Amino acid sequence: MKIFSCIKPVIDPATRLVINESKTWIKTQDATFIASEADNYALEEALRLREKHNGEVVSLSLGGEEAAKVLRAGLAMGADRAIQISDTNLRGATEFNIAETLARAIEKDGGADLVLAGVQSDDLGTGATGVMLAEFLGWSHATVAIAISANPEGKMVQVERELEGGVIESVELTLPAVVTIQYGANQPRYASLKGIMAAKKKPFVVWSPGDVGVAASDPMLEVKELVVPEKKSRVEILSGTPEESVTLLVEKLRKEAKVL
Amino acid sequence: MILIIAEHREGKLTANSKELVVFAQRAGRDLGMPVQALVLGSAGVDLEMLSTAKIERILTIDDARLNTYDPDAWVHALKTLTDQRSPALIVAGHTTQGMDFMPRLAVALRKPLVAGCVDYAKIGDHLVLTRQVFNAKMNLKVMPKNGGPFLATLVPGSFPGDEIEMGGTPEREALPVDLTKIPVRRRSLGVSKASKGNVDLASASVIVAGGRGLKQKENFSLISELADALGGAVGASRPVVDAEWLPREYQIGSSGQTVSPKLYVAVGISGAIQHLVGMQNARCIVAINKDPEAPIFKVAHYGIVDDLFKVVPALTKLVRDLRG
Repeated sequence: MKIFSCIKPVIDPATRLVINESKTWIKTQDATFIASEADNYALEEALRLREKHNGEVVSLSLGGEEAAKVLRAGLAMGADRAIQISDTNLRGATEFNIAETLARAIEKDGGADLVLAGVQSDDLGTGATGVMLAEFLGWSHATVAIAISANPEGKMVQVERELEGGVIESVELTLPAVVTIQYGANQPRYASLKGIMAAKKKPFVVWSPGDVGVAASDPMLEVKELVVPEKKSRVEILSGTPEESVTLLVEKLRKEAKVL
Repeated sequence: MILIIAEHREGKLTANSKELVVFAQRAGRDLGMPVQALVLGSAGVDLEMLSTAKIERILTIDDARLNTYDPDAWVHALKTLTDQRSPALIVAGHTTQGMDFMPRLAVALRKPLVAGCVDYAKIGDHLVLTRQVFNAKMNLKVMPKNGGPFLATLVPGSFPGDEIEMGGTPEREALPVDLTKIPVRRRSLGVSKASKGNVDLASASVIVAGGRGLKQKENFSLISELADALGGAVGASRPVVDAEWLPREYQIGSSGQTVSPKLYVAVGISGAIQHLVGMQNARCIVAINKDPEAPIFKVAHYGIVDDLFKVVPALTKLVRDLRG
């Protein structure tokens, strides 16, 4: 099986997010980029499928140095080769533009049996890109997968999808297909020192959007403003030492809220 | 015309479908546009909520291919409808189903999708939609360009379903759409419900839930001790369950259990939207978290911004002392 794993570089969600001067996005200067968490589960799933069915895993990412960084990490985890679509002008890019570029790159590389991506990214976080990618490729897809298995002939995959309220749907897809992987679907492996060394010798190609036939993209959405959500909050913060704050809390719970 | 795509499960329209109507009624008034609701695979679905809502029309499309959800059939039916009726705005829920077909539809139509909307404003003649980004820590306001139609998905809980305007007499129209030529490449093999085991959080009157802030499995005893002292049950957020500190049946949120206890204590839970939709109806919510920016404080009634490893033992001791 030939499997693509898509990896999106995102600003580390554990760091403090600072809004840029034009108030259109987060300040990316000096920001630390890491692979979007769910994409690690997708890569792990791709590696496990390769271990079972042979073939290769190609990691694909879009962006500047931050994309190269997450791709190198993917190679160290075990991907066979990497493709970076080098684009440093991604500000304002929507899921639509990203999906189109990824689809054209996959086609340029000769297609695949399966494309795996995280269920959603840690920045835009809408879960749209993988599904859009499937439509651009004209393939079938399934979202929110917690398990995936391929039949021995490699013509179909069975996917367990996690729906609302603890409901699991099982679907069968005709390949080629795009599947988005849910958080926690597996335990992603760590890159070993050996893996990190081996990664340096693995094929790593860099294409421009023009190389894959994507012209300057129209984001179709105009960003008006990035804001910290207004606090419509009703919360009463109880301060003091831990002993003082819990004493105050218990009093409020008994006398005000009457729940104790 | 604003078109909403109502979602149904087991013969009932979902609560989120009502919220879509509320959004469309408000945006429709602002833009001077009528609202129409579409139900795909409507046979055997109770449409009562829509049939008395103040909207212009209920559209239905029925075909054997729409009896079970399949994105290819959904997208084809919606594309046909869009080409015929030219809605200005197509809205679905930001649910696992909505987000399974709306992105495909956007690409098929080559039109913009604003996914994950929580609010909107009318500026000039345009709608500016507010979408949640960075795990709800930030809101991004965007305006679709290049004329309609455009697509949007609404995060469940963002619009109050109980503010729906009723007293309407929408006409009904069944649209014929031929889906026989759409190849089948995704087959649903059935659904199952993850076992709840012995954990029935829905009936608990007090719940103490722990999150990633507890750092490791061993520390979860802090949660069970506090729950014991309060005579309540233990719950968890998704990361705790993913890390296998607790079995899946303890998970509270959109992919776990929905709860509405009298008292909910969230410890070390930042409050991702998926968690909030599962517990925001609790009568009294207490949040203990060292990050004052954590979204959990937006739904909490009482908050303590401090180190949970100091606060929780102090609270447990105090409750134990009081209860003798």
